[in-house]
Amino acid sequence: MRQFEYLKPKTLEEASRLLVQYGEEASVLNGGTDLLVRIRDGISRPKAVVDIKGIDRLKEISFDEEKGLTIGACVNLNDMIQYPVLVEKYRILAEAAHTVGSCQVRNRATMAGNITNASPLADTATPLLVLDAMVKVFGPQGEREVSIHDFFLWVRKTCLQAGEIVTAVRIPVYKENVIGNYQKHGRRDAVDLSTVCGAVVKIGDQVRIALGAVAPTPIRAWKTEEFLKGKNLTEDVIAEAAEIALRETAPIGDIRASKEYREEIIKVLVRRGLGSIRRD
Amino acid sequence: MKYVGISVPRVDGIKKVTGALKYVDDIKLHGMLHAAVKRSPYPHGEIIRIDTSKAEKLSGVKAVITGKDVSKRAGLYLEDKTFLATDKVRYRGEAVAAVAAETKEIALEAVALIEVEYRELPAVTNALEGLKPDAPLVHPDLGEYKWGPIFFPKPGSNISNHYKIRKGDIEKGFAEADFIVENQFFVPHIQHCPIENHSAIAQMDAEGNLTIWSTCQSPYAVQKALSVAFDIPLNKIRVISPAVGGGFGGKAGTTLEGIIIPLAKKVRGRPVKLTYSREDEFVNSFVRQGMHAVIKTGIDKDGKITAVKNTFIWDGGAYTEYGVNIVRAGGYASTGPYDIPNVWTDSICVYTNHPVGGPYRGFGMSEIHFAIEQNIDMLAEKIGMDPLDIRRINGLRPGGKNATGQVVEVCGLQECIEEVAQKLAWSHKDKSSQPNKRRGKGIACAYKAPSMPNNVGSSAIVKLNEDGTAHLLVSAQDIGQGSDTALIQIASEILTIPPHKITIKTGDTDYTPYEWQTVASRITYCAGNAVARACEDIKEQLLELAQIRFGIPKRDLTLCDEYIVSKIYPDRKIAIKDLALGLSMDDGSGFHGPILGRGAFIPPNVRNTDKQTGQGEKPVAFWTYGCQGVELEVDVETGKIEILKVASCFDVGKVINPMLIEGQVEGAIVQGLGSALYEELILEKGIVKNPSFVDYKIPTAADMPEMLVSFVENPEETGPFGARGIGEPCMVPAAPAVANAVYDALGIRITSLPITAEKILKALQEKNK
Repeated sequence: MRQFEYLKPKTLEEASRLLVQYGEEASVLNGGTDLLVRIRDGISRPKAVVDIKGIDRLKEISFDEEKGLTIGACVNLNDMIQYPVLVEKYRILAEAAHTVGSCQVRNRATMAGNITNASPLADTATPLLVLDAMVKVFGPQGEREVSIHDFFLWVRKTCLQAGEIVTAVRIPVYKENVIGNYQKHGRRDAVDLSTVCGAVVKIGDQVRIALGAVAPTPIRAWKTEEFLKGKNLTEDVIAEAAEIALRETAPIGDIRASKEYREEIIKVLVRRGLGSIRRD
Repeated sequence: MKYVGISVPRVDGIKKVTGALKYVDDIKLHGMLHAAVKRSPYPHGEIIRIDTSKAEKLSGVKAVITGKDVSKRAGLYLEDKTFLATDKVRYRGEAVAAVAAETKEIALEAVALIEVEYRELPAVTNALEGLKPDAPLVHPDLGEYKWGPIFFPKPGSNISNHYKIRKGDIEKGFAEADFIVENQFFVPHIQHCPIENHSAIAQMDAEGNLTIWSTCQSPYAVQKALSVAFDIPLNKIRVISPAVGGGFGGKAGTTLEGIIIPLAKKVRGRPVKLTYSREDEFVNSFVRQGMHAVIKTGIDKDGKITAVKNTFIWDGGAYTEYGVNIVRAGGYASTGPYDIPNVWTDSICVYTNHPVGGPYRGFGMSEIHFAIEQNIDMLAEKIGMDPLDIRRINGLRPGGKNATGQVVEVCGLQECIEEVAQKLAWSHKDKSSQPNKRRGKGIACAYKAPSMPNNVGSSAIVKLNEDGTAHLLVSAQDIGQGSDTALIQIASEILTIPPHKITIKTGDTDYTPYEWQTVASRITYCAGNAVARACEDIKEQLLELAQIRFGIPKRDLTLCDEYIVSKIYPDRKIAIKDLALGLSMDDGSGFHGPILGRGAFIPPNVRNTDKQTGQGEKPVAFWTYGCQGVELEVDVETGKIEILKVASCFDVGKVINPMLIEGQVEGAIVQGLGSALYEELILEKGIVKNPSFVDYKIPTAADMPEMLVSFVENPEETGPFGARGIGEPCMVPAAPAVANAVYDALGIRITSLPITAEKILKALQEKNK
């Protein structure tokens, strides 16, 4: 087991300063469900582990009619999915969060960690993409808000700069109901990673589609959405949309599935997602 | 009966669910050191040089060993392995050196400091390739190894056993057939995935007495293997198996114990512990062997199978000390539970540079039945017959002959088939729940014998206490199957002492008597017989004393509700407790002394088969027959399978404990479904690509179907109260039943495991082309 320094700051300022101080050799510890596994496997070898769970304001979850739903970085997934406003207004996110790992993992894991880990198949990423979520960041320059669309850069790479910490995720208010669902296609029904996952929603007239495990980052299927604008969701339109969505992706073949299989599933998830919002 | 056949709650239940039970890794001894193992990065390589000097200098390191410390070969059936590699490594992950240190962290750091230089050798990464004449040899010195007389290695090749069945006249059988069909199947390597990882502690005292705490299924087998490998007499080795958190065969024989003994010998009395990581479990403990099958069958137009020719090529891995017997079992059972007059089987174990194959619940039967039971369905389709009918025609029944030419005496297979067909509403086709889904039903039969040497023994001791309670001492291990409870029930029935008054003690070679192994679905049968005999021994002594006491002949006395009672005058009776320490006379003198029961058992009259033909009158102790049916639904757009219902029926002779046997069968169904749908060690160039639960999936609670479990009870003449083994057989038909149901649903045949959504979708696309 590699030795590292364990630091538990009380404030964001202190945390940020420590991250700057240790630079690349620091890792942020939140729920730890990704980091500890990576340290054990020798993939991450941090000199300093900065535990942000001592910062009280990161544990807050709140709803405001103007700002929307703000979920603090240290709110664990099980607490998050029991928050009534989330279930009522942004059900798709609760559904997706509920598929992360096991119940025990969700007692530790957080959404901020899920997206900061920047896995292409992060379960909470595609709902956040269709909901146009904002990521609240604190850093040496103070606070800033980044669109979720600018947050993911590549596999395990985000736009976070040195010393920056995700403090919360904010989901804007929608006047219309958010209709749609999260689909996760894995090898097994529970406690599995996605082979392909996707969120398809309808907000007012607008159809939004996001897909995971199909490219280096979770993606919005912008071209497909453009194609769907103003169209009735007939069988033909849905079939064509699935083909367009497929062209927006670049899935790989790996131990979990071949590229060809992922391509099939992408089309199925898009078709089924669109089918479900049509029925609603 | 009062106690046998009753759902007595598990006697080990409370300590297990409360976490009070201490497993080996929970044991912390004074001064205990921790071991770590240096493992090979290559599947096949010559060891040129090992430099342990840096590791030895590291503070906190107490001992370092390499292969030269354990150079003697050991093995259960074929002595082909050393506990650490000596001259070369034969699989990626093989132990080449080990360290004992003050902490696990120091041990791991020290292991990283050990330098090993290898010359990589071409590897055998496919059993079929390994059979080719120009294949690299995994064991060039095979000819010098020792093996049991019932195994047939071929020195100068990678074949470590070639088991043959030659029954009837195969050419004549094919000539008589109206149709001849040949099919191929493949079963990949899988792992047992017990909840408890392997763990062992070794300690050697100043007089050279060795104590081993090990999470093992078979303390006496471990004791014997270690005695041979380390030249220590049996009276100086004590093996304790305090608890086993799931075995499934993976903790049979010896596994990691041999690594820590040479360390313990070097550290002057300090205990040394080694606990495997989950990754170790997948790569460095036993795995289930892979298997390629080719089955050529002749059948007449009325559905009678006239001939079958089987070729089973097993991927035995780097060492096959245990695997050779799986291959033997796969050979003598190679027809499945069918009466076929002409049989030719070659069951061949091949050394490869893969993880070490070993026993896994089913012991070859799950693998061969995946092929056999699909083949039966394919034959039925060929002649336009219902899968049920072909089994009715060819399935074994009393008076029939199995692959070894043995005449079958007791066999409830046909009853099991009818029961499953009825439970599954075989002829009724349900509509699918959604337009994109298709439903199907499939059936598969199975049989299995305890795959053990003919003459292996069991023994039991029962101590009667002066308050009328008793201690039952055996070395049969409760590895989750419920043997502690079942054996107590057998004792209770004979002694008429209720289960809560009997305490069972197991797993300590210094104090509990000999048991060959807790494997082969043999414990209720073999240990149960030993316990029954020990209790009969007590009964005999009690009646003897009561005869003297009452002056009533023994034949007129019996045991009833903790008393010795006259059958004629029920008021003439004496409590068992009053005779437990012997008979006290009216004049104050005593007679006989404390009552101790002694029982021993070897399955009667089991004899070797003919070496050339595999034919024999009684090659195994008994056969357990049964059948399983599956109803499932497949999503034709994604290929995903949902198992809706499973019906299982086995002829177990006698149900000792209904609640426990149902639990055992349900567990087997789910484990079988895991192998059917998800499980595979993905091997690329000898490297396991998925050594963790992230990418090796086993079923969860969410994957459990509705399970309908029932039993047929045709008594086994030699079994305790008529019981025969069930632990393994009930898993065997799961995978082929799923495969057959998939065919019923979609008309596609998946001939390799696991039956993944991806394979189904691909096959559907090809079919629809």
